[in-house]
Amino acid sequence: MSIIAVNGITKTYRQYRRFPGLIGSVRSLFTRQYTEEDAVNNMSFTINEGEAVGYLGPNGAGKSTMIKMMTGILVPTNGDIKVLGVVPHEARKANAQQIGVVFGQRSQLWWDLPVTDSFDLHKYIYKIPDSAFRKNLELCMSLLSVHEFVQKPVRQLSLGQRMRVEIAMALLHEPKILFLDEPTIGLDVMAKDQIRRFLRTVNRERKVTIVLTTHDMKDIEEICPRMLVVNKGSLVYDGSVEDLRAKLGSERKVIIDFRVDPGLLDIPGITLLQDEGIRKTFLVPRGESTVFEHVSRIASQYPVEDASIESLDIESVIRKLYLQLASEEQPISKIG
Amino acid sequence: MSTYFMFTLKAFVNQLAFRSEVWLRLLGNYFAILIQVEIWRAVIGNGGSASTTVEQMITYSILNTLLFALLLNRVSSKVDGSLKSGSIASELIKPLSYPLYLLFDGLGQSLYQFIFTVIPSLILAWILFGMLPPASTIHFIAFLGALLMALILSFLLGYLVSLLAFWFLSHFALSWTLGGLITIFSGSFLPLWFYSPSWAAVAKLLPFQYLGYVPAAIYLGNQNEAELWRTIALGLIWIILLLVVAHWLWGKAVRRLIVQGG
Repeated sequence: MSIIAVNGITKTYRQYRRFPGLIGSVRSLFTRQYTEEDAVNNMSFTINEGEAVGYLGPNGAGKSTMIKMMTGILVPTNGDIKVLGVVPHEARKANAQQIGVVFGQRSQLWWDLPVTDSFDLHKYIYKIPDSAFRKNLELCMSLLSVHEFVQKPVRQLSLGQRMRVEIAMALLHEPKILFLDEPTIGLDVMAKDQIRRFLRTVNRERKVTIVLTTHDMKDIEEICPRMLVVNKGSLVYDGSVEDLRAKLGSERKVIIDFRVDPGLLDIPGITLLQDEGIRKTFLVPRGESTVFEHVSRIASQYPVEDASIESLDIESVIRKLYLQLASEEQPISKIG
Repeated sequence: MSTYFMFTLKAFVNQLAFRSEVWLRLLGNYFAILIQVEIWRAVIGNGGSASTTVEQMITYSILNTLLFALLLNRVSSKVDGSLKSGSIASELIKPLSYPLYLLFDGLGQSLYQFIFTVIPSLILAWILFGMLPPASTIHFIAFLGALLMALILSFLLGYLVSLLAFWFLSHFALSWTLGGLITIFSGSFLPLWFYSPSWAAVAKLLPFQYLGYVPAAIYLGNQNEAELWRTIALGLIWIILLLVVAHWLWGKAVRRLIVQGG
């Protein structure tokens, strides 16, 4: 059953024209000229109950705008949007009761008060029954190890601690959907790991639907089986991480350690990525000859100490996708 | 409703973090009252004019100085801060009525002011400058009602300004204008009975008088019972009118909302 249905959504921001310089700034006061920019352009997708979806795209692709429309904060310029059967901005309060939202870049906690006070207030705002509150709080606090700093004022927490508190809080009222806008931004590896583990547990065991935006591909790999990639407000990919890798990541990275530096190698069909003398890194496309054939051909001509073959990591796949998007501007038919 | 009272409580507790400010506020209020007292002593002299005595004006000044601390003047700067930083997003994703949240948050600050600034200042002013008692029990009860109206109207005016800020993305000029209107038409320094008849007539039609002149004049018994009812009725009309406008504007403002940054 689809829990989120987005159908032809467009969000247009209107920007009044500004003129440069002092005289220009006076002129800006009187002008009504404006440009319109589509932050989200004719977007359609559906998300089913229990899914974990990564929402991905370069900076300025309209990810946050879409999240804000789904949470009912922003009103779309055009199109229909249904979250849990209601139009979010028309039933903002009812919708808010059913969803949890975490913004990585802004806090929902009470800055000057201890963490427990924010939890208490949350209980009142969402009218959480006592028993459910205690049970959820205990679970979230132990899984995210919040216990150690629960009495500290929020302003004294580190970013990693604060983010764990934000996520715990967003789940206290047992939301059906959890929206996370860059939840791991600026965190260290340990904190990221813990948060990812926690989100995976929440999604798999408590069946909370997760929609998260991120720039960190590991978030997607570890939490989200499905990803939506957007660029300039339009959807350019909807599918699994593996499928995208299969489509774009057909190349292999080959690192060869030579016994002696063979000098400049020019082998048709493969590209030299990095040259460190006796260690060279090549990019080998899958074509007529396999990676092994290429490697053994090199090994027959030059003395090779060691060779390793790596598939492109997801970061490189995405980088390739973005580059392809930037150069083509007509992407959907190409990779969709 | 208990949810919103929690905000009042939290705002109150939050203010406790700035306790050292209490002494400065007390000092500030003392000087503000002292200056006004000296001005009225110089203007009216010890004899008193036909209609107004120095004691009345001292009481009027004390009431107005302390009332100012209670009014919900910070609404528009709070909303402005939220709009500029984009933290309005975090406020809107909660299942809360935004205006009620603002109101009760503001009341928490007023409560704090009441306990830590107004009461000590009142005692201090009573001892140092002397203060008249309320004109009668009726007038005192009406005075309390007028205080409530002052709180509500100051909130609604600030809230309207903050809603207009959704269009302009800055509330400064609007708040400045509102501040100017309040200074001129509230009569908080100069009672409306000193105004020329035409200005007094204008001031008595506007809502700003409820933020200064009305409570103090009622306290002093400057209005007879018929006038009292008229004043209260007009105040209620203003409250309803501003509520309607604010409700309508809120619907429009949310559609205009632009969340800054990310």
